[in-house]
Amino acid sequence: MQTALDLLTGNTLTRLVFFPAVACLPLLFFPRGPRQTARAVKIYTLVVSLVELGFALVLVGGRLLPGGGFPVTADPRCSWIAGYGIRYDLRLDGISMPLVVLAILLVPIVVLGSWRGIERHWPAYSASLLLMTTGVLGALMAFDLFLFYIFWEVMLVPMYLLIGIWGGERRIYAAVKFFLFTMAGSLLMLIAILWLAWSYKGASGGTWSFAYQDLLRLDLPAHTQIWLFAAFALAFLIKVPMFPFHTWLPDAHVEAPTGGSVLLAGILLKLGTYGYLRFAMPLFPRASHTALPLLLAFALTGILYGAMVSWVQADAKKLVAYSSIAHLGFVMLGLQAADMVAWQGALLQMVNHGLSTGALFLLVGMLYDRRHTKQFDEFGGIARVMPVFAFFLVFSSLASVGLPALNGFAGEFLILAGSYRALGWPAALATFGVVLAAIYLLKLIQRILWGPLTKDENRSLADLGGREVLALLPLCVLMLWIGIAPATFLRPSEQALAATLTEYRQRLSGPEVQEATLRPPSPPGATLPAAGPPRAVAVDLLHPAGTAARLVASATATPEGTAGIEREAAR
Amino acid sequence: MSHDDLVSLLPELILCAGGVLILLADAVAPALRRGWTAVTLLITGVAAWGAWQAWTTLAATTAGSEAAGADPHFLFKSCNGMLETSRITLAFSLVVLLATALCALASDNYLRRERILGGEYFALLLWCAAGMLLMLCATELLTIFLSLELLSISLYTLAAYHRRVSVAVEAAIKYFLMGAFVSAFVLFGIALLYGATGSTRLEMIGPALAGQAGSAGGHVSAAATLGLLLLIAGFGFKMSLVPFHAWSPDTYQGAPSPFVAFLSVAPKVASALVLYRLLEVAAHGTTAARWTNVVAVLSALSMVVGNLLALAQTDIKRMLAYSGIAHMGYLLVALVTFDRTDLAPVIVYLVAYALMNAGAFAIVGLLYSRPGARHEIEELAGWGYRYPLLGGCLAICMLSLGGIPPTMGFLGKYLVFQQAVAAGHVRLAVLGVVASLVGVFYYLRVVYVLYMRPERRQPEGLLIDGWGRAAALIAALATLVLGLWPADLLQWLIAATGVR
Repeated sequence: MQTALDLLTGNTLTRLVFFPAVACLPLLFFPRGPRQTARAVKIYTLVVSLVELGFALVLVGGRLLPGGGFPVTADPRCSWIAGYGIRYDLRLDGISMPLVVLAILLVPIVVLGSWRGIERHWPAYSASLLLMTTGVLGALMAFDLFLFYIFWEVMLVPMYLLIGIWGGERRIYAAVKFFLFTMAGSLLMLIAILWLAWSYKGASGGTWSFAYQDLLRLDLPAHTQIWLFAAFALAFLIKVPMFPFHTWLPDAHVEAPTGGSVLLAGILLKLGTYGYLRFAMPLFPRASHTALPLLLAFALTGILYGAMVSWVQADAKKLVAYSSIAHLGFVMLGLQAADMVAWQGALLQMVNHGLSTGALFLLVGMLYDRRHTKQFDEFGGIARVMPVFAFFLVFSSLASVGLPALNGFAGEFLILAGSYRALGWPAALATFGVVLAAIYLLKLIQRILWGPLTKDENRSLADLGGREVLALLPLCVLMLWIGIAPATFLRPSEQALAATLTEYRQRLSGPEVQEATLRPPSPPGATLPAAGPPRAVAVDLLHPAGTAARLVASATATPEGTAGIEREAAR
Repeated sequence: MSHDDLVSLLPELILCAGGVLILLADAVAPALRRGWTAVTLLITGVAAWGAWQAWTTLAATTAGSEAAGADPHFLFKSCNGMLETSRITLAFSLVVLLATALCALASDNYLRRERILGGEYFALLLWCAAGMLLMLCATELLTIFLSLELLSISLYTLAAYHRRVSVAVEAAIKYFLMGAFVSAFVLFGIALLYGATGSTRLEMIGPALAGQAGSAGGHVSAAATLGLLLLIAGFGFKMSLVPFHAWSPDTYQGAPSPFVAFLSVAPKVASALVLYRLLEVAAHGTTAARWTNVVAVLSALSMVVGNLLALAQTDIKRMLAYSGIAHMGYLLVALVTFDRTDLAPVIVYLVAYALMNAGAFAIVGLLYSRPGARHEIEELAGWGYRYPLLGGCLAICMLSLGGIPPTMGFLGKYLVFQQAVAAGHVRLAVLGVVASLVGVFYYLRVVYVLYMRPERRQPEGLLIDGWGRAAALIAALATLVLGLWPADLLQWLIAATGVR
């Protein structure tokens, strides 16, 4: 009990994870009914989320290395359910850190963004937001697979409520579909986790363990791996969502309130790609390699299909929703390439997608708050009445398209360059996705902002207020910052990614086993890239971020734009 | 009858005496009846204390040393070896008493609202509990039968307790007819087993079967097999396993809701241990694999049929009845391994089930004011905001029934599936997982009706005060808290049932 209290009050990961949940308790005691309560709850939630952001900055800022790297930060590991090998084990490393910061950053922005859009039941709304934050942060930091599963499921209920209570017309359908799809994947993952722990028990001589580090040492025969990988991958691919498991996403996004959409796109979907990178690939290297052709086909289809479907939408929110499928297809492509540059790009792109798609959802939501419609036909010429809105929409769209000097470019470019080197022509196919992205996002801008101002209702629209600008500004600043200096954002994750990749490749090239065997624990430091990077990636592994940054810089400097990318990538 | 025998019967004696006391006092001073809920709670608490005391005293005195208390496998035989007291029976008894207490808490508002408050309700409830505690300890078939009758007759009477409502009487008659069959089955099974093995004691039957199997090349006599099957079918009825489930939806629908909170939980808890004992005996005789198959088939059928039929229900009590069938299916997944060290997940599951199911029925009893009418789920539309506490508790119970972390329902399901995977029954575990996904759908329906639909009816004639709220709150909070901090409970259970 004492340790729990210490953990909760100290500058720890536990505090970061559970502060939002604990902050929900006072919400029970806000008086119900009067309008002032809603205001008080809004301010309270905003303050809580800003305090949480402060905690995050103190924790992350205090641990950043002088060179920009980010070491593994862990809370003391303790037993949670003794006798079953289930531990409470939170860690933060370079892979999860950017996503954690993104998740925490988005919460105050969502509160600001839903200030007017949410009219009923603010205490419940606020509690849902905060509980979901706890779930997401926990899932990003859990290094015990059982704990991970708990947090993974905990996020579902608040999101279900967000969509179902504050959503649009078909909200119940969308909420239930979201819940069941995700649950279907994750229940199979639960069985796979169990099986994995059980195999560990068999291989280690009788102790249960769900610890990530322990399970990483487990080599499984190919036929077992493929089933376990299938269960893990299904859970994550549904969450991402990757074609053909994406059908819940458009429904969920379209029906969700603005805040819900932002969180869904900004954080929840990232859990899928994160899980794939953290668990599905390293735990089952051989199976993930075997499944590569199929998954690549899914990723490429997703990129092109998402983009094309996005193009023909008549509803602004649907367009952004389908664009998520395309963007996350890129991330999955990068992850599957198993290449340092591609992985760096993929991780960066996860953050980028959260920023730019989050901003786009916010903007569409702001438009919806004013006009209560998202159909393109109802708009046109809005730039004349809402210039500030127009600026932000253009800015975020261009970032999403991948305009050089904005964040989307850095991420997509690294993914394409890295995966071209590792995979060859499939990556070349994916470049069409970039072109299509330009088409549909320009359509978004054109149909809403430009053209004649045909509808009379639109003439009197008020431009963005201070609160709305305040919500968008941090996102745009970050988009620009990442675009200009991507290396700053690549460096923290460099070491963790390199270590994971090295181990992944080592295990892939190792001998195949006939039954579950446990490798001895490697001495500390052995998995670091300095200990001898394998095969052809040596150059990258020595200076991964350096290489990546140089690639970006040279491409940005090339006057031909996309042509430059292609040439660099081909090199 | 020695001193130790009396000590081992302490909780049963407390419950029986308490019931008689209430009945007598009710006849003498009916004005006191507003206090019977509190008295019942007190008696239940004392019985729990008695169960604990009996265990510690017996463990300390008979073994004569500290070591026996720590020995997980220590069990104390009393009454000429007809009863056993061990940590396992203690754990099951405490679950039964928990369900009794929750039912008593939830009944108060219901009985007062329907103007049928009387001492006999609580007396019968306590006798039910006494019957179950006896059944948990019994290791002799006739004792099991007698305690089953004590339990059943009290249950029939309670099911018909709301005698002004015709559906309640109908429910009770259905339950009684089915129960009569169960008694016949069990008795016939006992007779056959006695004929085949020459004993009614479980610890003698096991070796006798093994002896038969040894001399006849692995086969036991048909009479013994049939006897065991009849017994298993009988307790399958009590646990409402498919295909012995048909009575439960009708009975649940008609019987008083707070009583269903008890009926749907406690007899199942007691029957689970008896079923386990029977399987343990059965595994002695023929190859254990054959009995594993029987349990696996019952389990799979219950999970699939229970969930699919629950999906089609619009009446919340019928829905919960079918969900209860499915839950017993999950529970059986853990019973496919007949090993005493594997009972911990079963107990955890039963604790979870007791809390969440009793909580759900308690809240249903509070929120529906016309016991004769159907209990449509849609009638709860929007009430999550009208009754934030009860709505929230019902939602938590539903999520827990659906097995969503961090609730206790998830933990129980998880441990059960872990057991199945560890025992090599992966297919059964996968089936359970798929079935529970179907379950999530109908549990979620209650949550969205509560919070996402506009309100449809005004409350009329409801009576909700501290007692009802306490029942709901205790059930829901315990579901959450034990889901988050299961460590201590599990630690104790693991110690009770052996090292994993």
